[in-house]
Amino acid sequence: MTTLIDVQNVSMLYDGRVRALDGISLALRAREIVGLVGESGSGKTTLCRVMMGLVRPTGGDVIVDGTTRLIDMLRRDRLAYRRRAQMLQQDALASLSPRMRLRDQLAEPIAIHGMDKAQGWARVLDLLTRMGLSHGILDKYPHQISGGQARRVAVARALVLAPSVIVADEPTAGLDVSVQGDLLNLLLDLQAELGLTYLVASHNLNVIRRISDRIVVMYLGQIVEQGPTDEVFARPAHPYTAALLSTNPVVDPARRRPRIVLEGEIPSVVNPPPGCRFHTRCPQVQDRCRVDVPALRLNEGREVRCHFPLA
Amino acid sequence: MTAPLLEIRDLHLRAATQRGSAHILRGINLDIGAGRIVGVVGESGSGKSSLALCLLRLLPSNITELSGRMTMAGTELLGLPEAQFAAWRGGRIAMIFQDPMTALNPVFSIGTQLVDVARRRFPALDTKAARARAEAMLGRVGIADPGLRMGAYPHQLSGGMRQRVMIAMALLVQPDLLLADEPTTALDATVEAQIVGLFESLRADFSGSILFISHHLGLVAQLCDDVVVMYGGTVVETGPVGSVCADPRHPYTAALLACELEDAPAENDGSGRLMSIPGDVPDPVVTQAGCVFAPRCALAEAPCEMPQVLRRAPDGRQVACWKAVS
Amino acid sequence: MRSIFRHVAGSGTGLLGLVLVVAIVFAAVTAPWISPYDPDRLDVLHRFAGMSGAHWLGTDHLGRDLLSRLLHGASVAMAVSLLAIAVALSVGTVLGALAAYLPSGQERVILVLFDIISSFPSLVLALVVVAVFGPSTVNVILIVAVTLMPQFGRVARAQVLSVKSAPFLEAEILLGAGWARIFLRHLLPNIAGPLIVLASVEVPVVITVEAGLSFIGLGVRPPLASWGTLIYDGYSYLSDSPLPVVASCITLSLATLGFTLFGEALRDAVDPKRSSVR
Repeated sequence: MTTLIDVQNVSMLYDGRVRALDGISLALRAREIVGLVGESGSGKTTLCRVMMGLVRPTGGDVIVDGTTRLIDMLRRDRLAYRRRAQMLQQDALASLSPRMRLRDQLAEPIAIHGMDKAQGWARVLDLLTRMGLSHGILDKYPHQISGGQARRVAVARALVLAPSVIVADEPTAGLDVSVQGDLLNLLLDLQAELGLTYLVASHNLNVIRRISDRIVVMYLGQIVEQGPTDEVFARPAHPYTAALLSTNPVVDPARRRPRIVLEGEIPSVVNPPPGCRFHTRCPQVQDRCRVDVPALRLNEGREVRCHFPLA
Repeated sequence: MTAPLLEIRDLHLRAATQRGSAHILRGINLDIGAGRIVGVVGESGSGKSSLALCLLRLLPSNITELSGRMTMAGTELLGLPEAQFAAWRGGRIAMIFQDPMTALNPVFSIGTQLVDVARRRFPALDTKAARARAEAMLGRVGIADPGLRMGAYPHQLSGGMRQRVMIAMALLVQPDLLLADEPTTALDATVEAQIVGLFESLRADFSGSILFISHHLGLVAQLCDDVVVMYGGTVVETGPVGSVCADPRHPYTAALLACELEDAPAENDGSGRLMSIPGDVPDPVVTQAGCVFAPRCALAEAPCEMPQVLRRAPDGRQVACWKAVS
Repeated sequence: MRSIFRHVAGSGTGLLGLVLVVAIVFAAVTAPWISPYDPDRLDVLHRFAGMSGAHWLGTDHLGRDLLSRLLHGASVAMAVSLLAIAVALSVGTVLGALAAYLPSGQERVILVLFDIISSFPSLVLALVVVAVFGPSTVNVILIVAVTLMPQFGRVARAQVLSVKSAPFLEAEILLGAGWARIFLRHLLPNIAGPLIVLASVEVPVVITVEAGLSFIGLGVRPPLASWGTLIYDGYSYLSDSPLPVVASCITLSLATLGFTLFGEALRDAVDPKRSSVR
């Protein structure tokens, strides 16, 4: 499988002290769905923004197609990368220009990229139909549509440019369970049909488990575990992953994991704990964890950042 | 089952909106058993939060109708004059909000606020005793160093801590009914787990009932004794949470459960498709003659054009669907 | 848009303001056609004429028709205020938006510039400009534009700061839009409301400033009819006839009042916190 976007040892330091990202390496391979999970301060959103070139990392590089640095690519030809990768922003409704009819918003990519108007617009209409949106929605303003409709419009707008990579930041946030299935089905269909590659950041573990091939767990700006989704869910190796999975509430008592309740709060990224960043809350903490920084090590097909992995 | 703590009968709530009169609650019938944790689930717009606000009689000014009966311990709450009801609100009925920052006063230390709440409820208590109680309660809800934390201001606490303070404040008044509206939604997963754990441990020494409002069916299934499924301003199904989740009788409950992804890998599901409920939640401005769910119901038939009321099955569960009863 | 109009016309004072504004703008635009006389035509035989069918508001010390001069004065007042505000609005918006996007060091330079201009007494500025370049209508416009610019700049900066990190602007970056497109099509429409309101509130200020500068001889030069010069002329011959002063002052007051009421009603209509009645 070819690597489309390769995040190499990326760090993000704000004001010289806030470590939003710390040495993140993540390869996005063609046609895979990578799930990104973590709580506030984990750096999920920052990583998405770095991959989209919205912020420039203070360390490391993002390599596109194995050859070009993202920064150089954006400098040379801003539009080329935008046709390659698009992002679904967290707040879909707010991602639509409030004083512009949807018709004009959906025409934006056509105009910006100088696409053939008739062809481009035919594509927009086709996408709308596929999203299950009536063409009557085109004359509405963002405040006149529902959250679910805004999601679809945002997906349509991102797909007008026929990108091969979609970075989705919390794609189901704010959606009722009764409609989230529709959106996920749509994303899966599009993947199957257009051969898309997704990076999906979400705090909803059920969603991640259901749609992703590979899962990346982040804690305080670092990757603590990554591996095939089913394996990680079946046998989490990092104590944080285990705790996170155990807190996921499920209806069916047979599926419930014994709950591991972590003590304390998520430490601040301004002053991350020394040693293993998770040691302040880890149920299995040992003396070594308080001083020794664990490296991300390959362990039976997955990477784990722990001195004493569980699996 | 013991006598219910609270009986709600035919509760209607209407509000004037720009688009016309909105029927927000369309005749709620609901019993809350003494000492039970009752989960209320439903999509956004189902009327969950409005129900809680009705119970506190904290309603916006555009309300045009609030009718029906809400009887608690022999007292008809809707009929009480506001001056008398004020003693119930924050007394026998307390509430925990989704965002504790809106409920805590930013300019007073949490100790001051806790003491005020305790003394307002129990005027006989002197400040020293109230302080001691407040401190003990902070410890009880899992705040380390409660003595020290009494002097802290709300902004100095994390989201999880603030929610603990809110819970402490609600418990200090020893309410008979505690309303919790999405109390963990704004929290991170691991902190949410702490708060859920706290609710579970409260069973031991809190004798009142809890009405736990959440959009998260999994959470309700794990935490609550009973579940109330709301749709379009009505209750469509109620019963013990275990049996309702295992054997949903209303098509809406069944559909909602089918939409839950349930920590399950994709292969386990035959088609690989994810479930959803087509259509939109009912518009409160539109009058509905028949079953509120019929327009989205896959099983709708001619009798569904008749209004459906909650009917009690022999096992005590209630369902508002003729199919479930026949 | 329609609801804003309804809101402005709905309040009593707003309606009064609207009527006055429409009347003045109408007079300003149509002055060359509706004026009964050439405003500069001398008729020394009929100087200080009282109100009559021939001269509705009488004549001044040179026998010029006062009504015609007041109507032309409206043109001058409108032209000066519109041009001055247009310059202040555009320069202020660009500088304010720039300040919002620049790193803090360069932002400070712009903010200090705003502070210097606003703390500089505008009358002294006017005297300096007139001393160097001589009095003229163009100078009035420039003086007023410069002194008003910081107000627009500050409002623009605050507005840009409040929307600059909005997801919909980020969405445009993600689509590959250039800065000009983002600024003109997406940023500007979302910050325009408060700036337009500020502009309408500033119109009466500019009218009085122009009249004031012209009155003390630093602005519009005679024989061009400006309300300020009309008041000055009338003031010089007050003992001969009070009519020119009274008529000019009433006109000026009505204009200021009209634009003030209109501007305030517009501000209330646009501000969501004030417009409780929707």
